[in-house]
Parts: sequence; C-alpha cells; structure tokens
Amino acid sequence: MGFDLTPVLPELFLLVAGLVLLVVGVLTREGEAARVVATLSVLALVIGSIIIAASDKSPQLALGGHYVADGFSAFLKILLFVGAALAILLAQGFLHDRRIARFEYSLLVLFSTLGMSMMVSANSFLALYMGLELSALPLYVLAAFDRDNLRSTEAGLKYFVLGALASGMLLYGCSLVYGFAGTLSFDVLADAFGAATAERPPALLPLGAVVGLVFIIAGLAFKLAAVPFHMWTPDVYEGSPTPVTAFLATASKVAAAGLAVRVLMHPFGEWTAQWQQVVVLISIASMLLGAFAAIGQANIKRLMAYSGIGHIGYALVGVAAGSERGVYAVLVYLAIYLVMTLGTFGCILLMRRQGQYVEQISDLAGLSRQRPMAAAALGVFMFSQAGIPPLAGFFGKLLVFLAAVEAGLTWLAVLGVLSSCVAAFYYLRIVKVMYFDEAAEPFDTAVHPAVTGITAITALATLFFIVWPGPLLRAAGAAAAALVR
Amino acid sequence: MLHTVLVFAPLVGAIVAGLFGRAIGDRGAQIVTCGLMVLSALLATVGLFANVGEPARTVPLLEWIYVGSFQADWALRVDPLSSVMMFVVSFCSCWIHIYSVGYMAHDKSIPRFMAYLSLFTFFMLMLVTSDNLLQLFFGWEGVGLASYLLIGFWYTRPSACAAAIKAFIVNRVGDFGFVLGIAGVFLVFDTIQYDTIFRGAAGMANSTIVLFGTSWDTLDVLAFLLFIGAMGKSAQLGLHTWLPDAMEGPTPVSALIHAATMVTAGVFLVARMSPLFEYAPDALAFVTFIGASTALFAATIGLTQFDIKRVIAYSTCSQLGYMFFACGVGAYAAGIFHLYTHAFFKALLFLGAGSVIHAMSDEQDMRRMGGIWRLVPVTYAMMWIGTLALIGFPGFAGFFSKDAVLEAAWASHNAFAHYAFWLGVTAAVLTAFYSGRLIWMTFHGEPRADHETMHHVHESPPVMTIPLGVLAVGAIFAGWLGLGMLDAEGQFWAGSIFTGPDNHVMHDMHEVPFWVKAAPFVAMALGLGLSYVFYILAPDLPARVASAFRPLHSLFYNKWYFDELYDLVFVRGAKALGVAFWRGGDQGVIDRFGPDGVALSTLAAARRAVRIQTGYVYHYAFAMLIGVAALVTWYLVFVRG
Amino acid sequence: MQAYLAEYLPILIFLAIAVGLAVVIVAASLLVARQRPDTEKLSAYECGFEPFDDTRGRFDVRFYLVAILFIIFDLEVAFLFPWAVALGDIGLLGFWSMMLFLGVLTVGFVYEWKKGALEWE
Repeated sequence: MGFDLTPVLPELFLLVAGLVLLVVGVLTREGEAARVVATLSVLALVIGSIIIAASDKSPQLALGGHYVADGFSAFLKILLFVGAALAILLAQGFLHDRRIARFEYSLLVLFSTLGMSMMVSANSFLALYMGLELSALPLYVLAAFDRDNLRSTEAGLKYFVLGALASGMLLYGCSLVYGFAGTLSFDVLADAFGAATAERPPALLPLGAVVGLVFIIAGLAFKLAAVPFHMWTPDVYEGSPTPVTAFLATASKVAAAGLAVRVLMHPFGEWTAQWQQVVVLISIASMLLGAFAAIGQANIKRLMAYSGIGHIGYALVGVAAGSERGVYAVLVYLAIYLVMTLGTFGCILLMRRQGQYVEQISDLAGLSRQRPMAAAALGVFMFSQAGIPPLAGFFGKLLVFLAAVEAGLTWLAVLGVLSSCVAAFYYLRIVKVMYFDEAAEPFDTAVHPAVTGITAITALATLFFIVWPGPLLRAAGAAAAALVR
Repeated sequence: MLHTVLVFAPLVGAIVAGLFGRAIGDRGAQIVTCGLMVLSALLATVGLFANVGEPARTVPLLEWIYVGSFQADWALRVDPLSSVMMFVVSFCSCWIHIYSVGYMAHDKSIPRFMAYLSLFTFFMLMLVTSDNLLQLFFGWEGVGLASYLLIGFWYTRPSACAAAIKAFIVNRVGDFGFVLGIAGVFLVFDTIQYDTIFRGAAGMANSTIVLFGTSWDTLDVLAFLLFIGAMGKSAQLGLHTWLPDAMEGPTPVSALIHAATMVTAGVFLVARMSPLFEYAPDALAFVTFIGASTALFAATIGLTQFDIKRVIAYSTCSQLGYMFFACGVGAYAAGIFHLYTHAFFKALLFLGAGSVIHAMSDEQDMRRMGGIWRLVPVTYAMMWIGTLALIGFPGFAGFFSKDAVLEAAWASHNAFAHYAFWLGVTAAVLTAFYSGRLIWMTFHGEPRADHETMHHVHESPPVMTIPLGVLAVGAIFAGWLGLGMLDAEGQFWAGSIFTGPDNHVMHDMHEVPFWVKAAPFVAMALGLGLSYVFYILAPDLPARVASAFRPLHSLFYNKWYFDELYDLVFVRGAKALGVAFWRGGDQGVIDRFGPDGVALSTLAAARRAVRIQTGYVYHYAFAMLIGVAALVTWYLVFVRG
Repeated sequence: MQAYLAEYLPILIFLAIAVGLAVVIVAASLLVARQRPDTEKLSAYECGFEPFDDTRGRFDVRFYLVAILFIIFDLEVAFLFPWAVALGDIGLLGFWSMMLFLGVLTVGFVYEWKKGALEWE
C-alpha cells in the first residue's frame, strides 16, 4: 500500500491553512486580526473548493483505506466549503456589532469544516467518528461564542452535553457493528455480513449489527436534528449567535446527511429493507413535528429550527427510498436547502433596530414598506421553503417525492405533501406579517454589504433556479452515481 | 453569437432600466433601452439577409430540464422563418421604443415603461427563436405577462386594471388548450424538440388515439389543441374580447404588442408547426373557418366604432383572420407574408393614431375630431399611407399580401377555402370602408372638438414623426421587398415552412382567373368610394342607414353582444356556481370538517408539540434515549417480527 | 467463545493485581502507620481548595486552563517515549509523522503563549 496523500489534498490544505492562520491571527494586532483571518479563511475555503473541483473524481482510497475521495464526497465538500465561507462572511458585521469580533470565529468554522469534510469522506467507522468529533467540538465552542451572553453559553452547554450523549450512542453502535463484523472498514463490512453474490441473495444481517445500525442512525440523527433527537435544536438555534445558527443549520446538517447516506447506502446498501423502516419513522416524525411545532413560534430563529427539522424529514424521504434516484434527490435537496437557509439567515441578520438585532416574527411587520427588497428576498425564501413552484425549493421536494414513489413509498410521499401543506402555513404567515401588518418601528438603514450581497445572490439563485438547473442536477447525478455503484 | 446578442440585448436593457431606473434617471433608461434595441434591430437585419434560404440550425445556450425522457434545453433555432420574425419584432420594437420617448415624455414612470417594452421584446424574441415547445411556452407566457403589465401600465385607472385582468384571463382559456397540446405532443412523440416532432409527423399521419371513448385522428387533435392556444393569443373569434379592451394601454403598446407582434404569435405558431398541421386536414379546415369568420366579423364591428384605437384594434383582429385562413388553406408563406407587411402598416396606423391623440389633448373619440388635417400634415400623410397599405391599394405593402392571401384561398382545395375567399373579399370592402371612415372623420369635415382643444392642436415632435416616416417607408416598400416569400418552390423558406406533397397552393395561386386577382381591388375601391359618399358627400347618410338597419347596426355597435353573453354565461354563471359551492359546500361541509376543524386541531397539536420543549437538558436526553429504545423496539417487533 | 474471552485474560489479571495492590497499600497504611490527625494535616493540598466544601462554590477557571494544558503536553510526552524507542523500526514516515504532530502542538503552544494563557496574573 502506497502512501499517496493526493486524495487528502483539500483537507491537508485546510489543516495547514488553519494552523497558519492561527499563528497569523495571534500575531496580528487586536483590532485587525478578526478581519484579516476572516478574509484569509474565506480565501482558503475558496481555494479548497477549487482543489476539489479540479481533482480526479474517480474513487480513491487514502490513509490506509479509512478515507475515500469520490464524486459523492466532492459534491458535498464543495457545498460545505461554500456554506462555511458564507457563514464566515455573514458573521463579520454581526460579531462586530455585538463586540465579539474575535478571529477565533473564522478558525473554529474552518476546523469544523475540516471535520465535516472528513465525515463525508469517511470510509470506516474510525474516520467517521474522528470527523464527527472534529466537526462537533468547534461547534460547541461556536454556540457559546457570545460567552458573556447567558443564552449563548446555555446553548453551548446544552449542545455539548447532548452532543456527548449522541456521540456515545454512535460509538456504541459502531462497536456493536464492529463486534459482529470484525472490521471497521465500509468496504469490507458488506462482505463480512455476506453480501449478495452471483449464487445467493444477501445474507440476513445479524440482529446485533442491526441494533448497532439503529444506534448509529440515532447518533447521526442528532447531528441532523431529526425527531426524536431534535430536542436541542430550538434552544441552541435561539441562543447561539445568528451566524453560528446559520452554520449549524446548513453545513453541519449537510455533512451529517451526507455521512448518513454513505453509511446506509455503501456498507448497508444491500440491506435497504432492514433500515428503511427506521429511516421512514424518523422522517415522518420530523416532517410532522417540523410542520406542527413551528406554528406556535414567535422567535424566527426557533421557527427556523423547526423548519430545518421539517426539511431534514423531507431529505430523509429520499434516503428512505434507498435508490440512486433517492440519493440524487437528497443531494439536490441539500444543495437547495443550504442556499435557501443561508439566504433566510441573511435576511434575519438584516433585522436591526437602533443597532440591536431583533428576532421576533412580529418585528418583521411592515418590512415590505421600509425595505421592499429585503422583504421580497425573504418572501422568495419563504415561498421556496414552502415548496411553491417555480422556486428552487419546489424542485427539491419534487425530486425527493418522485424518488419515494419510484421506490414504492407512495404513502410516504403523500404524507410529505400533506405536512408541507401544513408547513406552508407558517412560512406564509411571515409573508403576511411582512406585507400586511402595520409597521412598529423602522429598521436601521445601515446594512453590512456582505450580508446584503449574500442575501441578494441566494435570493436570485432561488428565484431563477428553474432557468438553469442543469449544472446542479448534473453534478448531483454524477455524485449519486459515484456512491451507488 | 449574433443571434444570442440580438435576443438578449433587450433583456439587458429591461434589467438595467427596470432595476436601476432610479439611478440612471429617465433619460438614461431611454438611452439604454433604445440603444440596445437599435443594436438588436441592426443585428436582426443582418441576420435576415444571412439566413434567407439557409437550412435551420440551432444555437445552443444552456441545458435546462431533464426529467426522464423529457428534455428541454435553452437554444435558439435560426432559420428563415424565425429570422423574418426576429426582423419584424426587433425592427418594429426599435422604432416604437424611440417613438415612446416622445409619446411618454410627460409620464411619471418612464424607466418602468421602457423596461416593460424591452422585456416584452425579449420574450417575443424567445418565442420566435424557440427550439422546443417548452421554450416557446416560456416566451408565450412571458409576452402574456408583459402584455398584462403594459395594458395595466396606468394602474390607477380601474378600466386599465380591468382590461389587463381580462386579457390575462381570456388568454388563460387559450393557454389551457395550448398546454394540453404540448402535453399531447409529448405523449405522442415522446419529445418536445421541433426537429424530432417534424421528422415524426409524417409517420403519425392517419394514426388515431382514443379520447372519451371515440377514436380521433392523432394529429388533428394535437393541431386543434395548439390552435386553441393560437386563438387566444391572436384574438380569434370567441377569444377575441380582450383585444379591444387592451387599448387601455398606452398607444405604443397597442402598436407593438396588440398589432405588430404579440398577437401574431398564433399565426407564427401555426406556421412553425406546419409539419404537424399539414397532416391534420380537419384542423386546417377549422383554422380556415375561424380565420375567415373572424376577418368578416371583426370588420363589421369596426364599421360602427367611434374610438379611433378600437377601430384599428378590430381591424387588427380582422387582419389576423386573413393570416389564419391563409395558413388554413395551406399557404403558410402567404400568411407570414401578410403578417410581415401588416406589422409595418398596422404599427404605423397605431402610432399615427397616437400622434392624433397626442395632438387632440388625449381625445380618442372620432366624433369629437375632424378638420385637423392642415394642422398635422405629417401625421395626416402618414395615416393615409398606412390606410392605403391596409386596404390594399395597388403598390402598397398590403396590396401584395392581401391579394396573395385571397388568391391562395381561391386556389386551395380546403373544405372552407371558398367560404374564406368570399368572406375575405367582403371583409376587404368593409376594411376599405371603415379605414376611409376613420380618415374622413378624424381629419376632414367640420372641427367637432371644443375651441380649447383645437387651439392646442399641434404636430408631434420629430422623435415621434421620424419613426412614423420609417414605418411609412416600410408600409410602402415591404411588399415589394418581401415578394420572394411567395416563391412557389419555397426556396426562400428552405424547409422552415413545410408543405405537404399534395399541397400545391403556392403554385396554383399564381394561376387563378383574372377576376379573382381583380376582386380585392374592386372591393377596396368600392369600400373607399362608399365611405367617401357616406362621410364627405352626404354626412347625414350614416345616421339614416343606421336607423334604417337598426337591429343590424346595434348588433355591430355592441360587438355582437359577445361581452354581454360571456358576462351572462361565464362570469355570472361562474359566480352563481361559486357562491352555491361556497355557501353550501365549502362553508357548510368542508370548512366545518376540513380547514376550520383541521386548523383548530393543528393549533392544538402545535401547542402540545411546543410544550415538550421544556428547556431542561435531562428531559432532552431522556427523549433521545426513549427514541433509541423505541426505534430498536420497533425494529425488533415489526421488521424482524 | 472461549478463545474469544481468553484474549481478555491479561486484562482480568491486570485488574486483579491493581485492585489487590490498592487494597494492600490502603490497609497497610491504616494498620501500620500512626494515626494522629490535626488541622494542618486535614487542610487542603497544594491545589488550594478546601477538601470539603459546597459544590456550587466558584473557583478560578485558571486551574482548568493549566490542567488542560498539562494534559496536552503530558500526552505529547506519552507519545514521544514509545516513538523514541521504536524510531529505528518505523523509518522516515514515523519520524515525519511525529514531527507533524509536534508542529501542530507547537502552533497551539504559540497560540496559548501569545494569548497569555501561561501567565497566572
């Protein structure tokens, strides 16, 4: 076995960049460090994306077979890097206004992204766990980043304690599977359990392995914020600084979803029937809870938490399909979800009164008259998240439901459509508040150009996705084909 | 490249003027949109000369939708047919943009107007250059949207809003057929790409599909459905009611959208889909019947109207009828030729009418005009040129195309060909009559406007009269220049317009008896002479005739009571039905058990879901453990049994 | 199953010895040594905390910082010993791996130094 590090190049680059920036940050003057490190971190993420885009997409193993770089991981990594870069850009104005502009923010995002990158490239349970922890630890710190704020520290602590519990479950699951298979490698697992050959169908999975798989799913569902492992989400989303919430809601979920898809489809791909029902249960519970619990929310970040739970429910519909079409649909859904969600958080970051950030839905009243463009953008995101054609969100849902129908899960698709009808209620309520309610106080007119720019670009992307969906669909198709061979 | 720039230049103009109108100001918006339109028009002219007689080629732009076997890409189809259309659209649009600078000079939202105009032009160009039916539909709906926005441009007027909504809704009826047609084409051919459809059309001839328990000729059904869409967009009999009301929009809009370009999209659609229509004889007969009927029907209404723009609007409706029956009898080339000449002289007439309205302090009623021809000599001359072209005076553009259309109708073997010929000739008499009436009433006789208005009558500024002049040149020479389109061998079109192996109408139309050739001229002379007698020699004659034929006159004057009929049957009927369902079905049954009940239980469920969220970490951890336990239990009980 | 459990036998033996040794030591000190407690002997050790106190009492976060830093560098040394012993067998790859590890730690060290984490005041 050679020791070729080329496939790991993006991660190595991020690691080195992170270490260098740590030193740069600590050596730069106090006032400038945050800006300099943020700029360089975004640059590093952009370069990382370029390295991935330019890399060979055929599957390549590295680090003793624990790591695999293929089309699937490349697609997700580019999503992650873009999400992380936008989360850094979104944050700068906010951190400055809150007087917590420290350069560590960008670095924590960078290291967490590195962990996520490892997650989607994991080819063994060992790499899976390492990537997961590397991504989670900076997130705990980030959630408590506004350390003098009670809610933020509470969010960090809750996330940490529950995250540790979830990690424990995941590890327990991994060890069970290891105990029954005698290997950690995804490639060998399938054979160890007696995958189908020309002569015989796949063997029945040992009971313990399936229980282990359920524990693994539970651990990943925690990261995904899927019901019933979602309880931390509303509190943490509300308490964390808004840009951190954006990062948690997007990149973290994308990585976990990617990992879940890989674990379920690659080593356990032949035993779809064994895990399908569990995923279906989680999916239904998430869709329903996301739809119903969001209705009573007054805080828009809490609302986004429930909305995100619902979205993960829809994405899991695609996972449950357990087919290449399903994986394809999930990837498209995640990409669209990432863009929509970042844009929505961009809009939330535009809500300021006299220098203070406000988060109540009622604060949005009359936004359409004061800031017609911001209201229009938020309107686009809300309609898109509700899944109203011809916006991007509609296509994500459409593909997911189509995949479910093709896999014979018609009733699941029907349930999904019904719950998205309920969910449309609270999305449209925001539009109603913005356009039809009387304004209270005016919002600040001074805005941070990065936030405005990101909001505008994501809104246009959501709005005009239908005009040129080709590149995304093609990339997702190739990524799905790379995983399901 | 040339065509890409040509098509997208107006879009750029629309975006710049629409989004940054406030930043660049009125003048800036005018310069940007007009400049880009001039560029587009120049490129279209170059493109026309380059593409005549060349086979079709495709300029790919972007990939678009791939779902299963359904494929659609963004692409431009460049062939003689689309080149002619591009030329007509961007040439007219360019001069109308410039005219608007003068006409809309006192309006408050100039950038918005210019942006809409450019946006319309972009959608129209997308429509004519589309490479598949979905892109065509995109352009089709886009021009509908632009038309809606422009009709309701003065959105503070209730009548403008009502007209805009009416145009939109009536078009929906047509679009319903159109969408069904596209779906049907996909069902039958498994593609919506033109090339593949055209190749497969001959093979599908005489095949049948079963609908409602009866078998129908496949291509007849498809062609019929597509034609329903064309009827809506081109204001044909039955779906025509929106066009006269659309005159609520500013006059340049009427000239561009409701005369020269958008309303002709239906004719273009039939010509574009000629490979389909050629194998659908029953649908062609239907097209001929509707076209010929519309030609006469709209002309009769035109006789009695007093609003100068409405007269021209009905005239447009009538001329569109000519184009359709030309296509219906198999002479697609003649139809497109008439479309092309019509664009020039009808745009000219509308812009001339706009100039008159401008001069008369926004007066549109011809009963309050008259006697102004010395005061607005340029407009007067231009209106004459437009009128002569419209009525087919020898040497003018309309003469060539209208003759061609009528000769083709005579020469064809279509079931309704002779019906179309005779109705067309009759309509030609009426056309000459109402056109003459328009000129006499507007410009001649005693001034009927009040003193104040007469005092202000003035010739329009050069920015308005120059476009008139250019279009007038077109109205005179377009016929000469375009005669090549009627070439019997079809070299001009190079296959972009298909004629079946048994269709010799383009050849036969040159060999009709002399009296057929002379008929349009006689009709024109008769109509024009009569109008001179009615409105100059014996001005009291119209009133006497009207009272002598009171029922007929009021039938024409009230537009054959179409609006009233629709109001009674559809609007009130639908409302009554709606109210019945609303009161009885919706509120009584569905709401009680459906939305209201569901909404209440939803809220209750929401409250319960929120109550779980206590905020205590140990509750959360407990929920997670319970969750894992439940999942494992579920698995053991239900999956492993 | 028997062979499988046999692999864990050394651990069982190790546990038994560990527990036995602990019991022996504690018992010996109780039985052999003289027991004469006074206030000085019952007071806090070097860490400066009262051994018996309200658990909600605050104490300086700097203790944690030092403890964490200690663990990091303690682990570093724990890795260095076996590495130094086996360096002849693991070759250049092993050498550079450790250099990388040390490099990462050094970066962390530079960070904590510049941040002032090493100064008590």
